[in-house]
Amino acid sequence: MKDDALDALLAAPLPEPALGLFTAELMERIAQEQARPARIFAWIMVGILFVIVAAACVFGALVTTRIGGDRITLALALTALTLVLSGAVFQVSRA
Amino acid sequence: MDETLLVTQPRDVAAFDRLARTHHAKVRGLLLRLTRGDHARADDLAQETFLEAWRAIASFRGDSAFSTWLYRIAYSRFLMQARKRKEDPLAEDWDGAVPSTAPASDARIDLERAMAKLSAPERASLTLCFALGLSNTEAAEALDMPLGTLKSHVLRGREKLKSLLGDQP
Repeated sequence: MKDDALDALLAAPLPEPALGLFTAELMERIAQEQARPARIFAWIMVGILFVIVAAACVFGALVTTRIGGDRITLALALTALTLVLSGAVFQVSRA
Repeated sequence: MDETLLVTQPRDVAAFDRLARTHHAKVRGLLLRLTRGDHARADDLAQETFLEAWRAIASFRGDSAFSTWLYRIAYSRFLMQARKRKEDPLAEDWDGAVPSTAPASDARIDLERAMAKLSAPERASLTLCFALGLSNTEAAEALDMPLGTLKSHVLRGREKLKSLLGDQP
């Protein structure tokens, strides 16, 4: 094959693929990428709240043992607190 | 114009979408050559390329053309994937089948078959310098190799193609 013919063949434009769903998929992945910091923040919040609730449970149990309070009332209060905090975290993670 | 916008507003999704539409065909064309006609792999790599470009867009200063910057990401993504697949990018004389593309002339089909027998740097160099119209300097920058190395890949690739296509019946 001659140089000119080879150069012409090499310089021919590459086949144009249909764009199809390419950019739609790309934009979806970019949106996920942008939502990532918020998701990470939400999970960090879940961790922190879990530690706070666990600490509160331990503290409550210690106080109850010491003063002889109503354990069922305390357990219910802590459960309610856990549910409220979990609900708040869930809302944050959905945002 | 859009490229300038990316420098000033690197998180402009709409501008990036327009750029992706503009450059998609050329990036995918390069990757199709690099993957020896594997459409699914070229599509995946093109997605990875643009996603990586989006992540690193803040580092794009507009010193080189946006397309050159994209080709550089595409080539490095291809090399990374090749390493994961334990493929040797320098391998030549590949004897697999090249999937046929849309209706193409016999000469075109022969070219793609011959191109598949070149090493990855040779395929990339020839594609960037000829089909994508980059200067040698731009192509060397895109492939992150010295100018002399690029020129030798182009020369060796052309010679091999001439020889391979000359052997065609």
